[in-house]
Amino acid sequence: MDNIANHEDWKSCFSEIGPGLLLFARQWTRSAADAEDIVQEAFVKFWRRNHRINNRALLYATVRSIALDFIRRDKRRARREATVVAEADPSVEPQFEWEDEAQSALAAAVSCLPHDQREVLVLKIWSELTFSEIASALGISQNTAASRYRYALANLKKSLQPQ
Amino acid sequence: MNDFPELESDLRALRPARPSPVLLERIEEAMVENCRASVSDAGSMAKWRWRFTETPYRFGIGLVAAAAAVVLLLARINTDQTRNQDKEIAQVSPATETRPVLPAFSGGSGADRSISSNKFVPAGATQVVYNTRNEGLQFADGSRQPLRRLRYQTQQTWQWRNPSTGASLRVSYPSEEVVLIPVSGQ
Repeated sequence: MDNIANHEDWKSCFSEIGPGLLLFARQWTRSAADAEDIVQEAFVKFWRRNHRINNRALLYATVRSIALDFIRRDKRRARREATVVAEADPSVEPQFEWEDEAQSALAAAVSCLPHDQREVLVLKIWSELTFSEIASALGISQNTAASRYRYALANLKKSLQPQ
Repeated sequence: MNDFPELESDLRALRPARPSPVLLERIEEAMVENCRASVSDAGSMAKWRWRFTETPYRFGIGLVAAAAAVVLLLARINTDQTRNQDKEIAQVSPATETRPVLPAFSGGSGADRSISSNKFVPAGATQVVYNTRNEGLQFADGSRQPLRRLRYQTQQTWQWRNPSTGASLRVSYPSEEVVLIPVSGQ
């Protein structure tokens, strides 16, 4: 997987990284349809600019940038969605394919994490980025990325413990 | 993070929702559209490239034509001067002395010889590229297709030679050429 532009089977490449990209985009949109729009734009933009697919930090940074632009473009809509999301059951966000109640509870706990911790967790666990790549994608230091990850795990552990 | 290995493995077991098949189709369409746009951009950029690459050559041809015109003009002046000198000598010299030496048509043929001796024929042309600089990618106005800008610095030399006299004329000048090459999306 050297160059996404020369990669003939970009579909298999996308099927590999697509779920992680989509989950990452969901951190801002809270709507699967909008997240897919963002992922499509980011992936095609990435492909067009002839970037290397192994530069995952840049790919995720592109998704983040487009997601933020998306929010800015339609602030009113985003505010409306945020209100709806706040009123809705938080266990549906972000979307996971859970198989049992334990996984469902875990997904709900993830969705309740603070945003800055959750985006680091998403990149680390489901996109398997290194802290260096996460730091580059989010524009933060490696130490900050690592500490946010630790806080996220600690918060999850705390929220999953029986009261 | 070794502090929460169990929690990490639980999280990894939780799979994110897969993108819809429609998304894959939409991306494919966008890719195809992008390729078409790239091809059309490449076509328009080929015109750019032609313009950028041809202009120095046109300039070079113009310069060569100007140099050739100067050479011909000098040759003409030189010939005229030779003719005038012949005329003056003929006027000054007594007719009786010149006639036995030169035949009746020798004057004309002498002039012809003078003209032919001033003929220069092209002897060679060289173009030496002494520096190539990659000036990076750029986007032309309204284009989404990146273009790689290459600058070639060359030294062009044109030579003419007079076969009868062995004289040679050489014109040498530096030239610079900017080439915009569309970066293919394939």
